Amino acid sequence: MTFEKRRANAKQEIPTASMPDIVFMLLLFFMVTTTLREVDVLVKFKLPSAKAIEKIENKRLISYIWVGNKGKIQINDNIVKLSDVEPVMYAKRQSLPNVIVSLRVDQGADMGLVTDIQQELRKAYCLRINYSTTLKI
Amino acid sequence: MIKKKKIAEASIPTSSMADIAFLLLLFFLVATVIDVDTGIGLTLPEYVEDVNTVKVPKSRMAAILINANGDILLDNKPISVSQIKGNLKIRLSSKIDLPNNKKLIVSVKTDRKTKYNTYIQAMDQIKQAYFEMWDEYSEQNFGNKYKDLTATQQAEVQKKIPTIISLAEPESVKK
Repeated sequence: MTFEKRRANAKQEIPTASMPDIVFMLLLFFMVTTTLREVDVLVKFKLPSAKAIEKIENKRLISYIWVGNKGKIQINDNIVKLSDVEPVMYAKRQSLPNVIVSLRVDQGADMGLVTDIQQELRKAYCLRINYSTTLKI
Repeated sequence: MIKKKKIAEASIPTSSMADIAFLLLLFFLVATVIDVDTGIGLTLPEYVEDVNTVKVPKSRMAAILINANGDILLDNKPISVSQIKGNLKIRLSSKIDLPNNKKLIVSVKTDRKTKYNTYIQAMDQIKQAYFEMWDEYSEQNFGNKYKDLTATQQAEVQKKIPTIISLAEPESVKK
């Protein structure tokens, strides 16, 4: 006597017809949220961490200034001198009146340099600044 | 008899569409940076050539001095970083009902050789003191956290406890 395996008659397939649609949805999400990195960071820095931090809602308003662990200042794509901060930032402010300057400063940097940069920013009328920090856990 | 020509079926093969979409998806997945810039926000005062100083009574001031070694003085008394918040909160809460020109001014002064990290830790404490005071005031008066208030209520809290942080220029290094 032979036994036949009983099998359900239902199809055992996952419908894949809608897979492209799902993938396209994901794709669209990532296309919309992507901001391609515009600048190469030339200085080495480690951000300090803090608890009382705020998010900057408007990413388009942000302009970055990096200060590395050796005291080098970078704006846009190049290392600049302290005396160049004012003209460069003034030009930025003219194209973007309510610019927020995000200071990405290495945690070991001297306050003297940071204050000097702040003075330059004041001269350039870039008054909204943000000390970039990571969240302290 | 004229034979009807069979119309060849013209169709674009769509089976590879998913693959193409996946490739694109992968590219954007890799290229995406979803990092929201977070940090401590501040508004600098406008630059003026000759500063005319205004005398401020001692009771209004909370003067924080940080030296090059990271030691902190609050009103000439040595204090540790983590104590700043509690100290400021007491002083902020005592000034809630005072008029606007009598609110607390937090002044931060550093040495040129002070480490940036120490400064940020102090700023963090000051900001935390303000945030917690806003929350406490909001819960007492509106029964809600500050961030859940309406814009007009938030403005009122801001008016009661305004953030006044003064950054003094650091003294040059003593030789």
